[in-house]
Amino acid sequence: MPQTSSTAAAPPAIELRGVSRRFADPGGRSVGVHPTSLIVPQGEIHGIIGFSGAGKSTLLRIVNLLERPDAGEVVVHGETLTRLSAAGLRQARHRIGMIFQHFNLLHNLTVADNVALPMRIAGESPARIAERVRVCLDFVGLAEKADVYPGRLSGGQKQRVAIARALAPEPHVLLADEPTSALDPRTTLDLLGVLADANRKFGVTILLVSHEMEVIRRLCHRVSVMEGGRIVEQLDIAGGRIPEGSRLAGWLQDFGAVGPAASPSPSTPPQDGAPSHFALEAAHA
Amino acid sequence: MPETTSLFDTLNELLPEILKATGETLLMMAICLSAAIVVGGALGLLVFLTSPGQSLGRFRAFNLAANGLINVVRSFPFIILLVAISPFTRVIAGTSIGPLAASVPLSIAAIFYFARLIEQTLRDVPRGVIEAAEAMGASPLQIIRHVLLVEARSGLVLAVTVLAVSFLSYSAVAGVVGGGGIGDLAIRYGYYRFQTDVMLITIVLLVVLVQSIQFLGQWFARHVDKR
Repeated sequence: MPQTSSTAAAPPAIELRGVSRRFADPGGRSVGVHPTSLIVPQGEIHGIIGFSGAGKSTLLRIVNLLERPDAGEVVVHGETLTRLSAAGLRQARHRIGMIFQHFNLLHNLTVADNVALPMRIAGESPARIAERVRVCLDFVGLAEKADVYPGRLSGGQKQRVAIARALAPEPHVLLADEPTSALDPRTTLDLLGVLADANRKFGVTILLVSHEMEVIRRLCHRVSVMEGGRIVEQLDIAGGRIPEGSRLAGWLQDFGAVGPAASPSPSTPPQDGAPSHFALEAAHA
Repeated sequence: MPETTSLFDTLNELLPEILKATGETLLMMAICLSAAIVVGGALGLLVFLTSPGQSLGRFRAFNLAANGLINVVRSFPFIILLVAISPFTRVIAGTSIGPLAASVPLSIAAIFYFARLIEQTLRDVPRGVIEAAEAMGASPLQIIRHVLLVEARSGLVLAVTVLAVSFLSYSAVAGVVGGGGIGDLAIRYGYYRFQTDVMLITIVLLVVLVQSIQFLGQWFARHVDKR
């Protein structure tokens, strides 16, 4: 897989060294992340899967320090975020994009102004902002919606705007927190296509959290399986093949999803009426 | 000339007084609303940002102190506040009567009233949107400017509307201690001199003012709301 072999010399996009974060959930139980390490090479699409409360989102939010770990170090693109000052961290965050389950767009800003927001915050020049807004809205296929307010968009379109917004400052890394969990299956496929395209076209490393097996299987090169605040398994699933005998394969059988033996070979395009835009398998080839 | 004067005659006769009183009321309103929006608005923002779970939530002590102070000032019935701080008013305004003097207690009450109003309005901005801005590397000032003031703007306009209506009525209370303004006129002519027609005129004037403020505020709030 080119994503991992071409990066021998480059530092990993994301490196978590023994990070932990514990807190009490509303029921008073201690949840979060036990000391965990994770390395995501540049250009990889890495999935984190697990049940609710496994610590997936916490681990993701530790990467840009929305959740500050109790211990351990976070290194993104060679920069140790956990050692930065508040101002240094803000600077580093300019190059870490993030998308959310509920999109988190500003409803009183037009689509174009939403996409421009991270660049305005980073203090970019108006000319460069205008250029990047155009490029990114073109990329997600919403150029004609530039002057519309998000209230008039569908869920899938809102998430596309959020992706354009995250990509606008040309981030090294894109963090995706359950990005398709609020969307219907067809829109989900469509969006996975956009994310795969973003990875291929701009080389952005993607770390994605999802509880949906299909999302992980279709999009990710590698996956970390989380349980009880720990990564219990790490698998290479490029091409959508889930190794037999793995815990993840067991889950797939237990929960009635597509069994690993029946999963399509890497070159088989999706057969479920996905739009032609959908180009995941090509991204993996 | 007939002995009983019509409402119209009274209006005509008192017109200069009414205009002067209206001017004084507008002056008091301008001063106390400006103070409330600038100082109270800033205080409300800080209380919101330092509340638990928000971006400056680590400044817990400030949050508790500011919340306490807002509650204490808001506990005073306005007329008591007016009298209680009159020594302070004399220091600031040089006198304790007239519209400028009345603007001092009005401003103080308005600042804390508006601070609470703003803090509550900002709670309507979803935490996720603020978090998205934090993930972009926004500083607290940028969050205020690019997120809070944008997403809460229609609520903020309505907060100013409520503030204006409340303090139009508070400014009438200031008339009791010689504050001037429309309320003062109502008390001097309508109450002390039993001139019911003057009372009526001032009430109509206040109703028209309140209706206009409310109408304008709601129209503007709707206009800026794109949600």
